[in-house]
Amino acid sequence: MSAAIPALSAERAVVWPQRTRAKFANGLEVVLVESHTIPKFTAELLFRSGDAAALREAPGLAEMAATVVRTGTASRPSRRIEEDLRRMGAGLSASAGADSSVISFAGLSEFAPDLLGLVADLAQNASFPADEFERERRQKLEEVKIERTTPGFLAGEQLRRVLFGSHPYSVVAPTEEEVQAYRREQLVDFYRQHYHPGNALLIAVGDFSAARMLEQVEKAFGSWRAGKSTPSQNPAPPALNGRRVYLVHMPGTVQAQVLVGNLAITRKHPDWLRLALANNIYGGAFNSRLVVNIREQKGYTYSPRSTVHSLREHGFFSVHAAVCNEVTAASLTEIFYELDRIRALPVGDEELADARNYMSGVFSLGLGTQDGLAGQLATVYLNELPEDYLEKYRDRVRALTVGDVLAAARKYFDSANAQIVVVGDRAHVGEQAALFGAVEVYDPQGNRL
Amino acid sequence: MSALHVPVESMTFANGLRVVVSPDAAAPLATVGVYYNIGFRLEPRGRSGFAHLFEHMMFQGSANAGKMVHIRLINASGGVLNGSTHYDVTNYFEAVPSNALERVLWLESDRMRALKVDDENLRNQRDVVKEEVRVNVLNQPYGGFPWLDLPPVAYRNWPNAHNFYGDFADLDAATLADVQAFFKTYYAPNNAVLLILGDVKPADAFALARRYFEDIPSNSAPPRADVREAPQVEERRGTVEEKFGTLPALAIGYHAPERRTVDWCAAAMLDQALHGGRAGRVYRRLVLEKQIAVDTEGGIHYPMGDVFDYNGPTQLVTRAYYKPECSAEQTIAEFDAAIREVQEKGVGADELAQVKVKFRSDYFSQLEGGHGSSVPRYGLMHYLACFTLFDNDPNLVNTILDGFLAVTPEQVQGVAQKYLVPHNRAIVIRQPAGQGAGR
Repeated sequence: MSAAIPALSAERAVVWPQRTRAKFANGLEVVLVESHTIPKFTAELLFRSGDAAALREAPGLAEMAATVVRTGTASRPSRRIEEDLRRMGAGLSASAGADSSVISFAGLSEFAPDLLGLVADLAQNASFPADEFERERRQKLEEVKIERTTPGFLAGEQLRRVLFGSHPYSVVAPTEEEVQAYRREQLVDFYRQHYHPGNALLIAVGDFSAARMLEQVEKAFGSWRAGKSTPSQNPAPPALNGRRVYLVHMPGTVQAQVLVGNLAITRKHPDWLRLALANNIYGGAFNSRLVVNIREQKGYTYSPRSTVHSLREHGFFSVHAAVCNEVTAASLTEIFYELDRIRALPVGDEELADARNYMSGVFSLGLGTQDGLAGQLATVYLNELPEDYLEKYRDRVRALTVGDVLAAARKYFDSANAQIVVVGDRAHVGEQAALFGAVEVYDPQGNRL
Repeated sequence: MSALHVPVESMTFANGLRVVVSPDAAAPLATVGVYYNIGFRLEPRGRSGFAHLFEHMMFQGSANAGKMVHIRLINASGGVLNGSTHYDVTNYFEAVPSNALERVLWLESDRMRALKVDDENLRNQRDVVKEEVRVNVLNQPYGGFPWLDLPPVAYRNWPNAHNFYGDFADLDAATLADVQAFFKTYYAPNNAVLLILGDVKPADAFALARRYFEDIPSNSAPPRADVREAPQVEERRGTVEEKFGTLPALAIGYHAPERRTVDWCAAAMLDQALHGGRAGRVYRRLVLEKQIAVDTEGGIHYPMGDVFDYNGPTQLVTRAYYKPECSAEQTIAEFDAAIREVQEKGVGADELAQVKVKFRSDYFSQLEGGHGSSVPRYGLMHYLACFTLFDNDPNLVNTILDGFLAVTPEQVQGVAQKYLVPHNRAIVIRQPAGQGAGR
């Protein structure tokens, strides 16, 4: 056998499917895309309001409202909803993030009208039964207790608190006391204010005729009564100068969860792709500098990665690794070494070409599944990106240069002012963490120790 | 009723390698898998965790592609790759733009032909695996529950009962000689199946497979561990301390009917009736009605796989997180009441009809994705591999649903009565540290 690596053969063009778009008189935006991989379809009914919009009322309120939405409507009790879903071979979940709430559903195409009808019923006539609310609130209470025994969750919560200060993005989950204080009327109010067609976007991808599907969507959602949302004004996140260390003390842990981050940009920013490419080279892929360094060369950790996060108003960059206690300082040293290196020196031509190919190739994998396509469409339309974003993406990535990566790294990998979170047992990792800046120590409930 | 027919072509090379091709040119993407008929159930005694550690070693370099070359070449081709260790198979897979297909096959053939690793690679990956065990098990609430907790209680035969992730002492004891011996024994072409899916013509796929794999020498058939279990005669119980989590949890596992039998099909429908989302009887009773538990889930071969992807004993498992003010005995009593209801009254015709629609719908989704949306056709690849290695018939992917859709209400009631009995089950309780065994 030949020792020579086979060259890539000629590329077949990536063709993005046609979008069928509509805006109903009640304000509902609809995006439909045919994908005939399996005789099913997948859809998301998105509302442009999430936990950030309700923070002053109660942290986590949008998520709690989404959780209870599926438990009853004026005409369907909980059990009927669940059995109707099963009868259609459907799955449904409702949840909320900082900026949006979503009812995601997928089912067999043969039952599309019935499934759309059920989701339209949830969106318009949810009844928030008192007993279901009480049950879900108790379950949420147990969930938030367990969250604060999970190192990855605690690290993320602490970083968001530090980076966003008095901006609503600083809160990722409610406390036990806040869950205890939820009232059913708060959920109903959130639902009335935000679950209306002018605030909504319906994306459906699957095995259907787009023209026929549009008729079915119109039948299910066309008579939904219009509403109005008022956007909230939020304070700016703080300017953070100098590295600080936040140690969340979890006794008995056998590993240190390290998370380093700084504010960056949103997906709408003209530098977004430059930053995404720099991130891929730094730590966003298996074949990235950080992964090769602290996993493949040093064996400090199993799954280190860096990520660029885009929320609607702000974005941030973060690096995470769960490392052996003994190498907490060593891992942080390498994380900063690689940050400083990519800020100081231009990447090589081959490294650049590899990373561009990775980004543009992986993007096309979204074509392979209905869920993948739906996710990409949600990114485009929720962020109000240009209509030809999917078509242009790969060419735009392939046009990026060594200078683009260097400029993005210098601007957005803010090594000198990065905030450092370590979740671990302070007896094992406290001294190591203190090598990287002034340390504040917290317990898992967020109390300063 | 909508159906799905997947094109499947297969052949066996002279060296014993089976090759399965499923073309679909809708998008310029290809998915490639190599499955070896060795999993953690079959690893050598005294070497717990070795099959998984070895999986890591397969990314450390082969004769013509040194360390990081596999990973770099796949990423630089615009694709993703990974591997995973299961009970009875270990897989290596790539999802790439289809113009990288030949490169992927070259890489996979290079590491099937000759692994090239050294002591430094072994030390490095032993460290990485230990951190993997820490992040997934030792440093997480409910880590390893119940996939690591249930087997030692449920089984008596070492292959089924041991620690699949590996005791650290066993990981430390593994040598480079062990690695090369394991490779020679289990990673021969006659113990593998190659899967090529997506944007490729079958004739081209077979020709490329022939070019890169046909001359890899075969080996004698590897020894097959005896995975049979002696019949169980009484209920088995165990308790494991939960170090971080605040809620007690329990898992109940019943030995499942033998694969590819009528009882197996009926058990899958029973499983859907019990565990199929919020409409399932277990969730409905324990979480929604009695409100003893805050969450339940379950399935056949849960949580490591599903009704298709194992080859030997497995269990129908239920996992429940219950409220601290409730006891394990109360929780088990309510669970038993849900089971007794099926045993005494069976499932309704309408309920069974719903369950079948959901099973069919879930099966389609598995074929299309099954691994998030980052690896198109992962599930199709996985089932084709299992049906080839375990059943010698990849075309089962198109016919296997028929047996499930033919199940009658009486058969569901029958398997509930026959299998869901206390002497056929094991129960493991995960008790938070500092709390008594139920109040």
